[in-house]
Amino acid sequence: MKTFDLAIIGGGAAGLAAALSSFDEKLNIILIERDVQLGGILNQCIHNGFGLHQFKEELTGPEYADRFIQSLKEKKISVMLESTVLDIQKKEDFQLIISSPLHGYEHIHSRAVILASGCYERTRGSVLIPGTRPKGIMPAGSAQRYLNMEGYLVGQRVFILGSGDIGLIMARRMTLEGAQVLGVAEIMPYSNGLTRNIVQCLHDFDIPLYLSHTVTQIKGKDVLESITIQQVDQHFEPIIGTEKTFDVDTLLLSIGLIPDVALFDGLSMIKSPITKSACVDQHYMTNIDGLFVCGNALHVHDLVDWVSDEGRKAGEQAKKYLLTPMNVEKDDHAIVTNDNVRYVVPHHLDMNHLNEPITLSFRVTKKMTSAYLQVIQDGTIIAQKKSAYLAPAEMESIVIKPDQFQSKSPIHLHVEELL
Amino acid sequence: MYDYIIIGSGIIGSLIARKLSEYEASIMVFDKENDFASHQTTANSAIIHAGHDPKVGTLKAKLCVEGNRLYDQLEKELDIPLLRTGAFVVAHGKDEEVILHELYERAIANGVPSLEWVTPSELFGQEPRLVHTITKALSLPTTKVTYPWEVCFAALENAVNNGVNIRRNSHVVTINPVDDHFLITLKDGTTWMTKAIINASGVMSDQIASLLEKNVPFSIVPRRGEYMVLDRRAQQAFQHVIYPIPTSKGKGVLIVPQVHGNILLGPTSEIIVDKEDASTTIEGMRYIREQIKHLSTQIPYEWLIRGFAGVRATSSYDDFYIHESHEYPGFYHVAGIDSPGLTAAPAIARYVVEDVIKITYPKKKNFNPIRRKKPSFTHLPEEEKILRAHEHPSYGRIICKCEKITEQEVIDAIHGPLGNDTVKGIKKRARAGSGLCQGGYCESMVLKLIAQETQRDVSTINYDGEHTPILVKETKTHEDI
Repeated sequence: MKTFDLAIIGGGAAGLAAALSSFDEKLNIILIERDVQLGGILNQCIHNGFGLHQFKEELTGPEYADRFIQSLKEKKISVMLESTVLDIQKKEDFQLIISSPLHGYEHIHSRAVILASGCYERTRGSVLIPGTRPKGIMPAGSAQRYLNMEGYLVGQRVFILGSGDIGLIMARRMTLEGAQVLGVAEIMPYSNGLTRNIVQCLHDFDIPLYLSHTVTQIKGKDVLESITIQQVDQHFEPIIGTEKTFDVDTLLLSIGLIPDVALFDGLSMIKSPITKSACVDQHYMTNIDGLFVCGNALHVHDLVDWVSDEGRKAGEQAKKYLLTPMNVEKDDHAIVTNDNVRYVVPHHLDMNHLNEPITLSFRVTKKMTSAYLQVIQDGTIIAQKKSAYLAPAEMESIVIKPDQFQSKSPIHLHVEELL
Repeated sequence: MYDYIIIGSGIIGSLIARKLSEYEASIMVFDKENDFASHQTTANSAIIHAGHDPKVGTLKAKLCVEGNRLYDQLEKELDIPLLRTGAFVVAHGKDEEVILHELYERAIANGVPSLEWVTPSELFGQEPRLVHTITKALSLPTTKVTYPWEVCFAALENAVNNGVNIRRNSHVVTINPVDDHFLITLKDGTTWMTKAIINASGVMSDQIASLLEKNVPFSIVPRRGEYMVLDRRAQQAFQHVIYPIPTSKGKGVLIVPQVHGNILLGPTSEIIVDKEDASTTIEGMRYIREQIKHLSTQIPYEWLIRGFAGVRATSSYDDFYIHESHEYPGFYHVAGIDSPGLTAAPAIARYVVEDVIKITYPKKKNFNPIRRKKPSFTHLPEEEKILRAHEHPSYGRIICKCEKITEQEVIDAIHGPLGNDTVKGIKKRARAGSGLCQGGYCESMVLKLIAQETQRDVSTINYDGEHTPILVKETKTHEDI
C-alpha cells in the first residue's frame, strides 16, 4: 500500500504551484496528473499574455507551465502521469482510487490532499439551447484543443455564444486560421471576458459582439446549417422581431466554466451554491480536515497568474498543516457580504488563526465605475481600497493584514458604489 | 433471395429480426441511417409500463402487459439492464381521484398485476419530494425502466449471431412486386430480392407502404416529445416513475429515474409537420417545467445536463397498426408504434411472427437466445479491477471521467459485434460522453481511438451520420504561409 503525506490532484497551473510551495524534505508528496504531460489547460493556450504578474513578462501557456515544470524537476517532486483519480474517501487518512495504464488500478493513502482539478465548460444541455442536435456545436475549449493540440479546425463559418475568454480567444484564433467568425452573442448586457480580450480578439478583427442576445434556434439535421440569435429583455426572455439568422457550420459555446469537483462525491463536503465548489477558510481547507482546494477547482479565475498564486498559498498551508499541527480549536465565521458582492473566497475565516495576511478574492454582481472595497469588523472599516472599475468578469481582491483585525468578531465585505 | 427483409432497425425491427431468427429463414435488416437505433428508440421515456393506460381490448393493452412480462425474460436472455422502480400514478383532489379509479379499473381489465392504493403519507414516505397537494396514488409495482437502445443492440447482436444480416446506410427507394417476390432498390443503387417485407420503419412507415400500395390504410401523424435529463448526481431525488393523471394528449409529463442514475423529465406532446424534426423548443422546455410542478417543486435542476426530443410514430389508426397488406400479401406493416411501443416491443415481435405472419418455417435446432455483455469496468469488484488493469493497461486508462468509462470499453464498442466508428455511435454503446461534461473532456480521445482502431485519419471520423466529420480542415502549414 502506497502512503504519502500529501497528494496533489491535478498538474495544471494550481497543482504545479501547490506542489512547489508544499515541497519539504520531510514530506512525501505526490502530484497526480491524468494527461500524458503536466501543464493542464495551459498546454492548449498557445496565445500569449500569461505570466505578467508571476514573471513580469508575457509568456504563452506552454511556456508559463514550463517554468513551473522545470522547478518541479529540480526539486525532484514525484509525479504520476496518465493517472486519473476516480474517488476520494476519508477515514483516518485519505484513500484515493487511481486508475492508470502505467500503474494499473490502485488505492493509495495520504494524510492530506490538495484538489487542483480545474474546471469544465458549461454545456449546451445545461442551458437548454433549443433546436436540433447536429454536429458542429461544441464548447470553445474543445475546439481550442482540436485546433492547437491536434492541428484541425472544427469549422469554417463560426458563431460564438457567450463572451467568456476562451470564446474570445477562439474568435481570433479561428480567424487567423482562415475561418470566418460571424459574431459573438452574450446574454448579459456586459461582456463576460476580460476587456483586453474584447479589444484584441473582437475589435481588432471587426467581429461584432451582440450584447443582451442569445441563441434561440439551431437548424440542421446531420450538420449545423444555421443559428438564430435574438435580443433578450431584462428577464432574459427573447424579444420577438429581433431575430437574426446566420448560416454557419459551427457554434462554439463559451458560456461559463464550472469547478470540476466530481471527486467530492464520496465526501460530505459543504459546498457553495454560487461557486459550486467547497467552502474554504483562509487556509484553503474545506470542512474536511486535511482536504484543501485551490485554483479553478475552487472558483473560476480570469488570470492564470492568480490561479498559481492560490495554488502556492494552498500548498504552503498544506505544508504547515502537515508539519505543525494546530493545537488551538478552530473558530469559523462566514464572511458576510453586501448585495454588490457575488461571492468571496475564502467563504469563512478561522478567527483563532489570524497570524498571516489574508487575501479575499471576490466577484461583484454588476458593472461599477468607482467603488470602495471595504472590510468591516465590529462596525469599523479595518481595510479599504478604492477601485475605478469593477465588473463581474474581473476578479477583485483585497488583503487584510494580521494587525488590522480588531477582534475575533466576524468580518463583513462590502462594495460601496460611488454614484 | 431473402425470406424476409425488415426495413428499420429500431427496437421493433430488431426484436422482430431476433424472433424470426428462431426459424430456418434467411433474413436481412436495412436501416437508412449510419447507425442502428437512430430515432424513436433513442429518444423516449425508457419506461416498461405496467399497462394501466391503453384502452381495454386494444392491441396496445394486450401487447403492453405481455411485453412487460417478456422483459423479465429478455433480461435473462440478452443481459439487458432493467431497473425495477415501480410507479405511482398520482391524483390531486376528488375529480382526479375519479379518473384514477377509472385507471384502476382499466388496469384490472388489462390484466395488470399487483396494483395497490397508496395513501399520501405512504407516498411521501417513499417519495418525499412530491408535492403535498397529492391526495391519492395508485402503485404499479411491475413498472420498470430499461436502456432502450441497449435492448435494441442486444436483440440485433443476438439476431446476427443466429444468422441475420444487417446493413446500415440502406435507404429503400423503390419496392416492386416481381412474380411471387419483391424487388427492393436502395439509394446506393443496389437491388435486393425477398419473399416478404416487414415494414418497421417508424415515422417513415406510411411512406414505405406507399412505395407499393396505392391505398395505404394508415398515415403517420408525427408527434414530438421533448425531454430534460438530469445527471446521475440527482439519482437520490426520486426512486419511482411518477405519472400524473393522463389527458387526451397522453400520459402527461413524468418523472422517470433511469438505469444509469439519471432522472428524465418529460415528455411534451406536439403534432409536427416534419417527421424528422427532433428539435427542442423554448416552449417545450417551459411546458415541462410548468407541468412538473404538479408532481414536484423540488426538482434538482442544478444537475440538468441535456435536452432532447424524439418523434413518435403515432398513426391515424387508433391502435398499433400491425397487419399484412391487403393489396400485396407478404408485405407486413408494423406501424403506428407509439407509446407503449417500447414496452410492447418483445410482444409485438412475437405477435408479428406467430399471429400475423403465422410462420411455417421450421424452428432452428441450434437457435441460441443468449447474449452476454462484458460488465462495465466501474461495476466490477475492486480485486477484479486491480487484476484487469494490471493485465490490460487499456482498462487502466479512463476516457470518460464523468461516467468512468475505460479505454478498453471504448475499443470494445468500436470492434464489438455491432461495432461502430462514429463518436455518437460510441456514446450509444459505451456511454462515453453521457455525463456532466457531455463529452467536453473525452470527445477528442474517443475520436483518436476510433481513428487508431480503424486505421483511418482523424479527419475522416464522423460525429454521427455519413459526411459529418468533426475535424474539417488542417491548420495552416508552412506552404500556406
